[in-house]
Amino acid sequence: MKRIILVGKPNSGKSLLFNQLTGLRQKVANFPGVTVELKTGRFDAFELVDFPGTYSMSTLSRDEDIAVEKINQALLDDNTALIICNLDATRLESSLVFGMQMLALAQRFNKKLLFALNMIDEVERFGHHIDVNALAADVGCPVSALSAKTLLGISEFKQQALALANSPTATSEPVHNATTANIAADVPVNPLVQSRKLAAKYGIKASIVLKTQNRIDAFMLNNVSGSIAFLLVMFLLFQSIFTFATPLMDGVESALGALAQAITGMIGPGMLSDFLNDAIFGGLGSFLVFVPQIMVLTLIIGLLEDSGYLARAALICHRPLSYFGLSGRSFIPYLSAHACAIPAIMAARTIESPRKRLITMLTIPLMSCSARLPVYALLISVLIPPQQYLGGLINLQGVAFFSLYLFGILTALLVSLVLSRTANDDAKSDMPFILELPTYRLPHWKPLIHRVVQSAKQFIYRAGPVIFVVSLVIWLLGYFPSDAGGLEYSYLGQIGHFIEPLFTPLGIDWRYGIAILMSFLAREVFVGALGTLFGIEGADENIAGLAANIQQDGLAFGAGIGILLFYVVALQCVATVATLKAETGSTKLVLGLVAGYGTLAYLLAFMAASLIG
Amino acid sequence: MLTLWDAPKGASVTISGLKQGLHQLVLNRLSEMGLDQGQTVLCLRRSPFNGPVVVAIADCVYSLEQQIASHIFIQPLS
Repeated sequence: MKRIILVGKPNSGKSLLFNQLTGLRQKVANFPGVTVELKTGRFDAFELVDFPGTYSMSTLSRDEDIAVEKINQALLDDNTALIICNLDATRLESSLVFGMQMLALAQRFNKKLLFALNMIDEVERFGHHIDVNALAADVGCPVSALSAKTLLGISEFKQQALALANSPTATSEPVHNATTANIAADVPVNPLVQSRKLAAKYGIKASIVLKTQNRIDAFMLNNVSGSIAFLLVMFLLFQSIFTFATPLMDGVESALGALAQAITGMIGPGMLSDFLNDAIFGGLGSFLVFVPQIMVLTLIIGLLEDSGYLARAALICHRPLSYFGLSGRSFIPYLSAHACAIPAIMAARTIESPRKRLITMLTIPLMSCSARLPVYALLISVLIPPQQYLGGLINLQGVAFFSLYLFGILTALLVSLVLSRTANDDAKSDMPFILELPTYRLPHWKPLIHRVVQSAKQFIYRAGPVIFVVSLVIWLLGYFPSDAGGLEYSYLGQIGHFIEPLFTPLGIDWRYGIAILMSFLAREVFVGALGTLFGIEGADENIAGLAANIQQDGLAFGAGIGILLFYVVALQCVATVATLKAETGSTKLVLGLVAGYGTLAYLLAFMAASLIG
Repeated sequence: MLTLWDAPKGASVTISGLKQGLHQLVLNRLSEMGLDQGQTVLCLRRSPFNGPVVVAIADCVYSLEQQIASHIFIQPLS
């Protein structure tokens, strides 16, 4: 199929134009290790490819490298029927800098190019008029004015684009010896002068365009009001992933429970029913429960990004986080990681520097996610008395909770600092903090919802298969030999006994060992597994009962603290491991991380058990 | 020599050149952003604790950290 490619600067309405041209049936292709994604959709008889927004053809980061490499491939491809270059009509100068580079390349490689002068509605709102025909004559290439938001001029634009794409290529002088490597040499060094001239002739005055934005920023970036706004936004984000997502998570849980009951009820008791109940609904259920949280988080981050606030939040956080080798954009992934590491790792895509993005992703698992909550709750109620001070204002158990969260954050910052001091491999792995503060805009719902659905799909596709295999293996090991009489005598129990010497230095026995092994499915499984081993049915709902049993059984204080520290640090979640592998593109790195955090966690637990006793 | 990092909030300053020491790729990007000789830049904000500076260059607003802003020479303030 012939292809039309869509290029342009970020924050210039390009994605919206893509959505208007293709509808919502899109395919997204990812490249491992970078945030670049190519969206493709159908536009009339053509395949429309949305290229990642690039500021320039001369690149600063590896992400931009890939974007430019893909554009270069399209320039050489005979199937490329047309290049649509999206321009922000309100900011002609900055969008033409890239536009003129693109035009020079298109002419060099004998490709047709059409400038989409987007956001023309905003230009008219400013009471300005752009003489499109004169502009087209001056740049020497067709220009079509439109608004992807209000659909003004969109049908004329479509007609013009299709007519151009369908027309035969005028002069077909073959390009010799062109490879993607030597394309960069053809880019005009600095198309700034021409862009500036054109913008002065046709564009709106910058001071008029930036007026509203600067007025809002005067409030949003002010030391006092800006800080309050920032805290408020982050509080809402944090609340929403816990409060708004909880009923949805409960809904998924009870729907799966009801489905499990209905199905097992139909087939009657037996091995098949046990398998469906525990391995399928139990195992996959404990993972699907996180889907609503991921969707809510993607929605909120999408809202922040599309409205323009995300860039401001990054600006506010940049200085403190830069001490630890992180970017201002690391803050939101870190905060989100307290709900679930997986969407947080995906949110790290917004970090501009590949190096800082990698450090952020590698330290995200140290944040205490919500799956650790039941583990903390159980062990804290075993170890820490519910003592209150200052008339109930300070609760000792609450302090313990807070300390665990803090311990995770501090460890993450420390690890970041260490990682950032390791050798810098090349210039493109780190990007200087040059951040465009885009105009504040009302987000568009359709693409946002699409993104939310995509995030859930991506999570299920990536982590689902691993979770399925792990839950199957754990179920088989825990179920067989089925005549043995309970978990203790199953293969899993035997393994627990066999590796008990590994846990003895930590002051815990095989039962905790099994529970820790089973946590690889999801950390909260620890509670259910211990419940089975301590003879408490439904331990998830009866944490107090299980805690009492563990207390009677006599878990040493130091050993208990050791398990807690182990759970803060160890990277046990297979879904997180799968996501990290997909996002970093390196199995070796991720396995190293699992081993590193595992060793650190073990050492901490050992120290706690032997020093505290 | 004064640099963009020295520009006070609200000042409109004129770029006089880029200092050596930044990577060529970064210099390219800065000049594409419009940070070339003679260009006027408005300093919109300074952040506390030496945080990034916010400047309006042509029709865009950018936030630049100290490492970048201190490599951009400006003409003496009038």
